[in-house]
Amino acid sequence: MPSASPTGALRWPIFAGNTQRFARAMAIERTREPERTHLGVSDATNSDTQTGASAPLPAEINPWARSQYFVDDVEQHPAVRVLRETLPEAIVDVVRFRNETTIHVAPSDLRAVAAVLREHDRATFNVLTDITAVDMLRLRPNPRFDVVVQLYSLKNRVRLRLKAGVNDGERVPSLVPLWNGANWLEREVYDMFGIVFDDHPNMRRILLADDWDEGFPLRKDYPLRGWKEFPTYNTERTIGRVRTRWTGRGV
Amino acid sequence: MTATNDQALPVDFDEDYPKTGTLSISEERALQDGTHLITLNMGPQHPSTHGVLRVILKLDGEVIVDCDPVIGYLHRGVEKLGESHRYAQIIPWTDRTDYVAAPLNNLGCALAIEKLCGVEAPERAQYWRVIMAELSRIASHLVWLGTHALDIGALSMSLYCFRERELILDIFEAFCGARLTTNMMEIGGFSRPIPEKLPGMIREFLKIFPDRQREYSDLLDANPIWMARTKGVGVISPEAALSYGLTGACLRGSGINYDIRKAEPYLVYDRLDFEVPLGTHGDVFDRYLVRMEEMRQAIKLITQALDYIEKDDSPLMAYESAYVIPPHKGTMTTAEDMQRHFVWVIKGFSPPVGEAYVGIEHSKGELGYYFVSDGTSLPYRFRVRSPDFVNLGVLPHLAQGAMLADVVALIGTIDIVLGSVDR
Repeated sequence: MPSASPTGALRWPIFAGNTQRFARAMAIERTREPERTHLGVSDATNSDTQTGASAPLPAEINPWARSQYFVDDVEQHPAVRVLRETLPEAIVDVVRFRNETTIHVAPSDLRAVAAVLREHDRATFNVLTDITAVDMLRLRPNPRFDVVVQLYSLKNRVRLRLKAGVNDGERVPSLVPLWNGANWLEREVYDMFGIVFDDHPNMRRILLADDWDEGFPLRKDYPLRGWKEFPTYNTERTIGRVRTRWTGRGV
Repeated sequence: MTATNDQALPVDFDEDYPKTGTLSISEERALQDGTHLITLNMGPQHPSTHGVLRVILKLDGEVIVDCDPVIGYLHRGVEKLGESHRYAQIIPWTDRTDYVAAPLNNLGCALAIEKLCGVEAPERAQYWRVIMAELSRIASHLVWLGTHALDIGALSMSLYCFRERELILDIFEAFCGARLTTNMMEIGGFSRPIPEKLPGMIREFLKIFPDRQREYSDLLDANPIWMARTKGVGVISPEAALSYGLTGACLRGSGINYDIRKAEPYLVYDRLDFEVPLGTHGDVFDRYLVRMEEMRQAIKLITQALDYIEKDDSPLMAYESAYVIPPHKGTMTTAEDMQRHFVWVIKGFSPPVGEAYVGIEHSKGELGYYFVSDGTSLPYRFRVRSPDFVNLGVLPHLAQGAMLADVVALIGTIDIVLGSVDR
């Protein structure tokens, strides 16, 4: 959940309206203790802390230590610090929830941001875990989609999420030049949402048929059962007829 | 028509050009130039594709020039279905994605929902989850080994592996009632008590399995035919493995030490002692050795967890949380629990607004579940990051320059289950 400013204004761009419900959720969040990433993980283990018998004072903590990825003040997050130095105009927002950090970036800077985070020698986010999208149609009108990129750093053992808000018809720079694994992941995003990636070598459908013409299924305005009829075959042996089933508006 | 080749040639006949069999000279000359590539369709129905996978190969003789896998024949829209089902109803869908390792799928989904809600299952449930997850890992690797060896030609391996898998499926059936689609991990722990006979069954299995696995090793590890078919085949360099986003044995077989159970321990893996096997050459043989060793490490994990938790009697479910189903006894006796149970089942619980991603070490790699919640009882977005889908993307890279007979070895070594690839 967004950290609350004293005026109660929300910092999460997703929810433009309906603040009452989220204010209550925020109140619940404020009373919780800081969570761990997973049960049992030790946030204190990292190779960068200074040696010493006693715990270091806050001023002495190594800014690149693994624990810095989990502090509540997002400006201490190493990836955020890297981006503020190199690509400050790319960051739209930073959100922390459940010990995970999400950086909202401008879509045209997505590849640059990922490249910076991968090449930086301390914050080496070198594993592309996932690329997906969320259709935010019911939550906010603009931008409609959120392209979500999950990154992982082998050296620091931390995860990071990048989100880029795009509208229908806008194109997103592809991450294929950085990671070959983005190839199939972006094809699936295109297949399910219709978001086109620039510089993708093979931008075509992957899960659905090549000539699927009914649209993009994971969009919120696509009904669960699709637009077309589908035939259900004779189970009650009515002779000579294939009964079709009208899909209606879906669930 | 009785005309011979000498009479009706469509092209000029080169004196030095050898005449062979019934192939017409123009075709043969074209093959010599390398411009005649055969497009071979390894169709969705094929015994060696481990499901409905279609691979379109362009062959130059027996060498593969291009490989285009076509997937989606088993796409059932699990992610779309997740948006219209309550959180607890999604867990049975996850059984059917990777149907050879259902408890691991359930585990990932339950952990993701628990993270979103901020629920921690009690310690006893964590240990039992580890036991079931590791049994499922062994079961999945047995399917992999049986089918992989079968494709390469070691036919008896498939029957041996499925013989051992029957023991594991019996354990699953005793635990949750189902062999394959287990639906065993619930949000908050386990709502049903552990059956009395279960630790005994698992101990029996732990007694039998190491020797049986030694049989498999004896059969294949030093087998010259096996080594000829797998050594040097399908080499993935560590850089390529990272670039293609591979996880699991495909990544560790190339030497990169990334196991989520060690890197970001979940459940109680940080208290248990086990090792992560790494390969050196990144070929099919190394990935085979890595997975065999993972089975032995899984046995070690199950033994430790069972030793610790067998006699334990503490609660199995985090009943104090509002997101967890009320206890069965309370539901049957008290009015409050019955009301809560009714609301929990019919309407479902509403997690806080937000999102959560949990990645677990599935037998095939990193299985990730990503939930976006809008505060209602249905998820706003349900995303399955399936390891096979991402791992299969490396197949064109591996098949380039390989021989046709290696394609089945490559598909087997990537270890895919089409239910998980297509979802």
